[in-house]
Amino acid sequence: MLRISGLTKTFGSVRALDDVSLDVPAGQIVGIIGRSGAGKSTMLRLINRLNEPTAGSVVYEGTDVTALRGRDLRAWRARCAMIFQQFNLVDRLDVMTNVLLGRANHVSPALAMLKLWSAQDRAMAMTALEMFDMGRLAAQRAGTLSGGQQQRVAICRALVQEPDLILADEPVASLDPRNTRLVMDALRTINREFGITVLVNLHSLDLARHYCDRLVGLAAGRLVFDGPPVALTDAVSRELYGLEADEVTDADPAADPRVTPLPARRSAGAH
Amino acid sequence: MAQSLPRLSENRLSPLMDGYARALAARRARSLAYSAIFFVVTALAVLAAEVDLTKFFANIGNIGSYFDRILTLENGQRVWTDPAEWFWGWKPWGRLLLDTLLIAYVGTIIGAVAGFLLCFVASANLVANPWIRSSVRRLLEFSRTVPELVFALIFVIAFGLGPVPGVLALAIHTMGALGKQFYEVVENIDMKPVEGVSSTGASWAMTVRFAVVPQVLSGFLSYALVRFEVNVRGAAVMGFVGAGGIGQDLLEAIRKFYYSDVSALLVMIIATVVIIDLISERLRHRLLSMESAR
Amino acid sequence: MTARVAEGPLGRQARQRRAELEGRYPEIFSPPLLSRAIVLALLGAALALFLFGFWQLGFSFGRMWRGLGRLGDFIPLMFPPNPETWARTEMYLWSLAETMAIAFLGTVGAAILAFPLSLFAAKTVVRSWVLRWPTRRLFNSVSGVDTLIWALIWINVVGLGPFAGVLAVMTSDIGALGRLFSEALEAADRKAVDGVTSTGGGPVSRVRFGIIPQVLPVMASQVLYFFESNTRSATIIGIVGAGGIGAHLSEQIRILEWQQVSFLVILILVTVAAIDWVSGKLRFAIMGRAPAGAAA
Repeated sequence: MLRISGLTKTFGSVRALDDVSLDVPAGQIVGIIGRSGAGKSTMLRLINRLNEPTAGSVVYEGTDVTALRGRDLRAWRARCAMIFQQFNLVDRLDVMTNVLLGRANHVSPALAMLKLWSAQDRAMAMTALEMFDMGRLAAQRAGTLSGGQQQRVAICRALVQEPDLILADEPVASLDPRNTRLVMDALRTINREFGITVLVNLHSLDLARHYCDRLVGLAAGRLVFDGPPVALTDAVSRELYGLEADEVTDADPAADPRVTPLPARRSAGAH
Repeated sequence: MAQSLPRLSENRLSPLMDGYARALAARRARSLAYSAIFFVVTALAVLAAEVDLTKFFANIGNIGSYFDRILTLENGQRVWTDPAEWFWGWKPWGRLLLDTLLIAYVGTIIGAVAGFLLCFVASANLVANPWIRSSVRRLLEFSRTVPELVFALIFVIAFGLGPVPGVLALAIHTMGALGKQFYEVVENIDMKPVEGVSSTGASWAMTVRFAVVPQVLSGFLSYALVRFEVNVRGAAVMGFVGAGGIGQDLLEAIRKFYYSDVSALLVMIIATVVIIDLISERLRHRLLSMESAR
Repeated sequence: MTARVAEGPLGRQARQRRAELEGRYPEIFSPPLLSRAIVLALLGAALALFLFGFWQLGFSFGRMWRGLGRLGDFIPLMFPPNPETWARTEMYLWSLAETMAIAFLGTVGAAILAFPLSLFAAKTVVRSWVLRWPTRRLFNSVSGVDTLIWALIWINVVGLGPFAGVLAVMTSDIGALGRLFSEALEAADRKAVDGVTSTGGGPVSRVRFGIIPQVLPVMASQVLYFFESNTRSATIIGIVGAGGIGAHLSEQIRILEWQQVSFLVILILVTVAAIDWVSGKLRFAIMGRAPAGAAA
C-alpha cells in the first residue's frame, strides 16, 4: 500500500502539486489524468524521489519514503520503477545493457562497472525482452530503435528491477496509435502477470478509461477526482480539461465547445 | 544602362543622407575612441617592454647572419651538404627525443586520468553540492593557471633533476586544462539517460559510468589527443629547467653557440612535433567519423 | 529499507528458461570476445607504454616518496605569502607590467603579421597551391617550436631583455594564428562573396568586402584568446632571460625563498584571472555571445 499525504511541490512561486493525498492499494492500475501542467509528472517524480517534495510525505508499507537517503533511497528507487515519456534510455549502449541497468541496485557494483553481469541477470533481461517480442534486438544500439521499441525496452528495464510498483510518466505521449496500444498492453500485462502496481500518467481520457481500474484527476496541482472510470462524467472531464475536453475524448461527439458554456477557469495554475 | 535610377528630390534626400551621416559619425567616434585606447596601451607596452626599434634595426642583420651561422658546419660548408656531420649526435638526440615523447605521454595520461576523475564532481548537472563543485573547480583552475614550468622548477628541487619533475608538472597542468574541458562537455550532455539510470536505484558512480561516460568518451579522447600535441611542445622545453627531455641539449647548444647543432636539434624537434600533430589529427578524424557512423 | 533477496516471478521464470535462452541467444550470454579483445589490447598497449615510460624516465617509489615529503616541507613554508619589503613589491609589480606588455605586443605583432600571410594559405582567397602549400608548412614549422625556444634564439639576436620576449611570443604565434585565420577565411560564407562578384567586383574587392567583414569578429576573438594564453607564457619566458616576472620567480625558487615564491604565484594568478575577465568581456562584446570551439 502506497500512502501519499499532503504532498506539495512548489517551483518558485508556482505550486506544481498542491496538498495531494491518495492511497493506492497493491495491484491496481491507476490512471492519473489532467491537462499538461496539472502536476501529473511532478507527482510521479516525487514518489521516485527524482525531485524532493516541499511538504507532505509518501509512505510505502510503513516506511516514510520521503525521509530515505543514500543506499536506502536507491533501494526504494529500485522498488518503484520509472518509465518516461522520452524513454530515457542510453542511446549509445545496446538494448541488453540498457535493460540490465535495471539490475543496477541488485548486483555487485564492481562487476557491474565492468559490464560483467551474471547469467541469471542476462536470462532475466532476455525473458523480459522476449515477453514483448524484442529478443532479436538485444544486441542493437538503443538509439537506433523506433520510439515504440525504445519504450518497450524501457518497460523491460523497469521489469528486471522486480519492482513493487511502476510509475509511468506519459509513456505513450510520443508514440503513434499502434505503438500506443502495444505499450499500454504491455503495462496491463505486467500488472496482471506480476501483480505490479502501475501508476500511469495519461493525457488521453479514452486510454485511461480503457486500461485503468481507477482514475485520479489533477487540475492545477490539486486532486479533483478519484474514482472508477465509470464515475468520470462529462462534467468532471470538462472540469479537468476545460476546452481541451473534446480533444482528449471522442466518447461524446455532441460536446461541442461552441455551444457548451465555459467551465470554471482552471488554467490559472497551468503553464 | 537603359534608364538611370531616378534621383530623389533634394528635400527628400537630405534628411535620409543626414541620418546616414549621423549614424556613421557615431560609429566613427566609437572606433576612434577604441583606436585611441589601443594606441595608448600600445605605447605604454612599448615603454614597459623596452622595445628599442633602433637596436632592432641595427641588429636586424643579425637575424640573417644567425640563421646563416646555424646552417653552416664548422668546416664552412652548408649543413645539408653533409647530413652525417650535421646530425652527428642523432643517436643521443634521438633517445632524448623519445624521452621527450614519453614525458609528454606519461604526463598526459596521468593528467587525463586525474581530470577524468575530477570532471564529474565539478559538473553542475551531476553534483548538487556547490561546495564540492567549486572547490574542485578552484583546484583545476589553479593547476592550469600556474605555468607548467613553474611547477617544474619547484618539482626539480623536490624530486631532483631529471624527467620525473617534468612529467609531474605536465600532469598537473594537463589535469587542470583537461578537467575544465571535460566538465564543460559533461555539462552539455543529454540528461534523460541520467534520469533513466538513476531512477532504477543505480548509485552515482554507476549512473556516471553508464549514462554519462558513453555520451562523452569520444569527446574526451579527442581533447586528450590535442592536449598530447600541446604537451609534446611543452616537454621539449622541460630540459631548460632541468626537468628532462631534449631541452637541456638545445639550451646548451644555443647558449654555447654550437650553431649547426642548434639547427639539427630544431629540425628534429619540428619534425617530431609535425608528425605527432599529423598522427593525432588522423586519429581525431577517425574518432569523429566513428562517432557519426554510430 | 534494504534490497530484497527474495526472487520475484520474473527471476523464477528466467531461472527456469535460462538453458533455453542461452541456447537461443548464445551471443548475448557469452558475448563475442573479439570486439572486447581489441579494446582490451589497445588499453593494454597504452598501459604497457605508460609503465615503460615510468621505468625509462626513472620513476621509483622511493623517489616519489622522498620528493613528496620534501614538497610537504616546502608548502607550509609558503605561507603566508610575503614580499618582505615595499621595494621588492614595486619591483615585482614593474616586471608584472613588463610581462603584460610582452604578451600584448607579441599578440598584436603576431596578428598583424599573420593576417596577410593567412590570405595566402586560404583556399578561398588564393586558388593556386604554389603559395598556399609553403605558407602552410611555414605556419606548422613555426608553431612547432615553443615560445621559450624562440626566446633563446631571439636573445642571441637582440640581446637579453623583454624585447626578445616580445619577438618570441610573436614568432611562435604567427604560425598558430595564421592557421586559425586561414581556417576562418575558408569557413566564410560564399554567399557574400557571390554578391560582390555579381556586382562586378574584382578579386581584391571580393576579399575586402565579401570575406573580411565576415571573419573579422572571429579573428578578433581568436586574437583575444591568444592574448590570454600569451599572458601565461609571458610569465615564464623570464626563466631564460627574455623579460617579465619569470626571472624573479625562477630566482626565488632557486634560492628557496618560498614566501616570495607564493607571493609571485598569487600575483600571476590574479593577473591571469583579471586578463581572462577583461578579454572575456571584450570577446562577448565582439561576438555577441561566447563563441563555441574558438579556443586554440
